[in-house]
Amino acid sequence: MAVVEVRQLEKSFKGKEAVKGLDFELQRGKVIALLGPNGAGKTTTLRMLSGLLKPTKGTIRFSETNENEDIRNHIGFLPQYPSFHSWMTGKEFLIYVGQLAHLSKDEAQERANELLEKVGIANAANQRIGKYSGGMKQRLGIAQAMIHQPQLLMLDEPVSSLDPIGRREVLQLMEELKEQTTILFSTHILGDAEEICDDLLLMHNGKILESGPIKELQIKHQTSLLEIIIEENPETYIDRLKAFESIEDCKLEKGKLLVAVNDMDKARTQILQAALQEKWPLIKFELRRTTLEEMFMKVVSG
Amino acid sequence: MQWMTIFKKELLGDWRSMKWIWVPLVFILLCIMDPLMTYFMPRILDSVGGMPEGAVIEFPEVPPTEAIMMSLTELSMFGSLLIAAITMSVIAGERKSGVAELILVKPVNYFSYITSKWAAKLFLIFISYSLGMLASWYYVDLLFGGLSAERFFGLFIFYFIWLIFTVTVAIFYNTIFKRPGIVLAASVGTYIALSILAQVFANRSPWFPNNISSHIRSLMASGEVSSDLWIAAGVTVGISIILLIASNFSLRKAELAE
Repeated sequence: MAVVEVRQLEKSFKGKEAVKGLDFELQRGKVIALLGPNGAGKTTTLRMLSGLLKPTKGTIRFSETNENEDIRNHIGFLPQYPSFHSWMTGKEFLIYVGQLAHLSKDEAQERANELLEKVGIANAANQRIGKYSGGMKQRLGIAQAMIHQPQLLMLDEPVSSLDPIGRREVLQLMEELKEQTTILFSTHILGDAEEICDDLLLMHNGKILESGPIKELQIKHQTSLLEIIIEENPETYIDRLKAFESIEDCKLEKGKLLVAVNDMDKARTQILQAALQEKWPLIKFELRRTTLEEMFMKVVSG
Repeated sequence: MQWMTIFKKELLGDWRSMKWIWVPLVFILLCIMDPLMTYFMPRILDSVGGMPEGAVIEFPEVPPTEAIMMSLTELSMFGSLLIAAITMSVIAGERKSGVAELILVKPVNYFSYITSKWAAKLFLIFISYSLGMLASWYYVDLLFGGLSAERFFGLFIFYFIWLIFTVTVAIFYNTIFKRPGIVLAASVGTYIALSILAQVFANRSPWFPNNISSHIRSLMASGEVSSDLWIAAGVTVGISIILLIASNFSLRKAELAE
């Protein structure tokens, strides 16, 4: 079931096209990564989804809302560089935005306490935000986006500016939040996307180049490569391997035999049988999976 | 509900930034400065000396109705500048810093957002203006002679309509420009342009907002509210309402991020 359907979405700034016709859907309950290099149009896309920018063309439809309803009731948004009223305390700010999202004062208060605890800044609840560190502001930013329990939580580069510890904690937090809501987050860091997302939207130059469940994409872009490590004299096996009809090429790289195959199942059986019969001193026999980085480079470079 | 939330937050923000201390003080200073200077000038000149022997300077008698008008003259010049300065960043500042990106993705009604901020600034200005004018009334009464409550409140209320207008102009520019400095320049520019226009067309446009103070001057002299004053006040309120509605449209149309 789709939470949001985006059709033919375009945005240009003074004639310069930032987003060139996006079509995608976000599935309920998933964590979706909007992945792309800097300048791909990720932030512009998120800002259009959150209503901060008006699309030049195209439609964004939220499935839960009827025509006249304010979609802002159902979305939470964390900008890339969130800024707050620095004279307020973290708790005051959360209560403030909670009330703006139509919670009563008591509800907002309760929800603020709950979220401050959850994002791990409860001990700084009554400190002025002006004194918060970057990581604390990021957490407060996530808390304010969650205050009204939105159905779609959008986070613009939520971990890019954090140190490794802060990054880990925010990723864990997102892991917990995914139980409650659909999450769309943008990043240019492949590792973050790989670690947490279910679905992937790969964006480059204002277009979506690939989309779908990350596992399917990995299979789709899988290179048929075997990596074999043999204890002694690996070079002597090259010709032996090349003799199999299922194997296209074989070369030695840093002590590893990299084997390109045309039929993975056949090649696997043949090699293992030969290894068993001929007692090859195998150390490692691995079917190499595409990393997101390889896939990314492959898709982006055409 | 939402309106009150923003209104209260604005008041708290002005309190924490000490505006509730210094704005009333500046208003009091502006209001009492001229009447006091006028009263004490002969004495100051006497005690400083340096006047040639036998020189006589005649200071005209100032009636209390004139003395209190001096406060309005100061307010018209520095008061509007001050009002533009404290209003310039209420919305533009939030847009520039990026807080608006958080606030306006919440289901906030734009009209509530604008009018609650407008009302909060107006409240601060009303209290400051009241304190300033009451102080002025006190000194005028003490130094220049009695001024009837009726005349004082006539002046007080009608001039406040002009102040409402100045705040509204600044709020309107807040929804158009994203930089507080430009909001300030545009607001002050508008006040100056209006006062030039009012002088150029002085006789033909008695209903011009800027003419409120000259109508108040005749109110002080005659004790009666002229129909021109009523009309000018009505026009000013009308323009303010139109500006608020225009602000709503302008913010609705604006891209809230780049």
